[in-house]
Amino acid sequence: MDAPTSFRQQLLGVIPRLRRYARSLVFDPHAADDLVQTALERALAHWHQFDQRRDILVWTISIAHNAYMDDRRRHARASLVEPSDGFDPDASQPAASTDIGLQLDLVKALGRLSLEQREALLLVTLEQLSYAECAEVLRIPIGTVMSRVSRARIALRALLDGKDAMPPPGTLRRVV
Amino acid sequence: MNTAAPDDTLLSAWIDGELPPERRAEVEAWLREHPDDAARVRAWSADARSLRSALDPVLDEAVPTALTQTVWRKAPAVLPDVAWRRWAAALALFVLGGAVGAGLTWRMQGSPAAGAALASSGGWVQRAAVAHSVYVPEVRHPVEVKAQEEHLSRWLTRRLDVPVKLFDLREQGFELVGGRLLPDASGPSAQLMYQAITPPGAASAAAKPERVTVYLRKPDDATPASFRYEQQGELGLFYWVEGKSANSGPTGYALVGALPRDKLLALAEAIYRQDPSRP
Repeated sequence: MDAPTSFRQQLLGVIPRLRRYARSLVFDPHAADDLVQTALERALAHWHQFDQRRDILVWTISIAHNAYMDDRRRHARASLVEPSDGFDPDASQPAASTDIGLQLDLVKALGRLSLEQREALLLVTLEQLSYAECAEVLRIPIGTVMSRVSRARIALRALLDGKDAMPPPGTLRRVV
Repeated sequence: MNTAAPDDTLLSAWIDGELPPERRAEVEAWLREHPDDAARVRAWSADARSLRSALDPVLDEAVPTALTQTVWRKAPAVLPDVAWRRWAAALALFVLGGAVGAGLTWRMQGSPAAGAALASSGGWVQRAAVAHSVYVPEVRHPVEVKAQEEHLSRWLTRRLDVPVKLFDLREQGFELVGGRLLPDASGPSAQLMYQAITPPGAASAAAKPERVTVYLRKPDDATPASFRYEQQGELGLFYWVEGKSANSGPTGYALVGALPRDKLLALAEAIYRQDPSRP
């Protein structure tokens, strides 16, 4: 059976949030929209698995997360380069009203966190998911969410303070 | 207060509002007395705000049409033959539902596409929607048997051959009006009607009390199905199939009402919890 109209309308409603989440993961707007596209296609193919008592945003973010991980695994086989290595800070256009310098530093610093920390931090602070929802998306225990978020906060602040706690991205070859 | 220093994990969870009240109070007491930690926590919160302001503009961007088109695209056919048969089956159900509801569906302002979606979910859901629209506006004879008559549940159970329980939705603000027996495609079905409880003293002159109906039937298929939601015009529908248990056969449920989705969901969940086939 094809997805009902009401389900498609629910999906349309979460696109802006999915795009923001994807952008925070892969930075490049085109790559981010490709990720959203994959997530939407998968959601439509599995619409009958969606339990209407759940939050469709959390469900679709889980799908986007899995799609991103699949993508990374594919890339990892081809090369050991992190997708964020190719990140061009100019590609994301921050609002003119805020401190652009700070935002560029921030986005750069974000790109230098480990993926594990970055995802947990983004889901909790940017998407404002609860720890339980974040645990569901990442399929890790709540305690792990708690420690990843806290470590991500400390690492991000250290990077912004100029205390480079992390190796530069060129040497960061970690593949999850 | 003789509390040990909260570690960073605890401070971070405090920012996110993830601590139980007693731990939260401890952390707050600690932060009041330890300005260095308080400053760190403030910096983390500020970083979170900067993250949001860096990425929130994405929310206001126009959604690329490629993405909108993806959402409306029909599922790609795995095997053209299978897809065609599925489509034909959905169409047949739609025609059947349309025939049953002809002349009555004018009440529902759904688009043709919404109608097709409803029909493809099973013709009975469409019939539940039609039955709702027919009987809910009734002022004098909304039900066949009133709630006060104790044989209502026994009667419907006997005729439907599935357990009909008179769900108690008073906690959700709705009381049972009564029920009626209806013809469905393959046999009898039942409709239970509930009405919003008007608080004493409130103007009862409201000509149109808020009503929801629960449609019950013996499903064509014993496969349990999880909650589905459909919207047709102003009507929302939650429907699901409860599986066979030791003491009863499978039952199909459709909850229909012109209520916001979350309010309808609360009612659907109350019914689901009270289901007689659940242990």
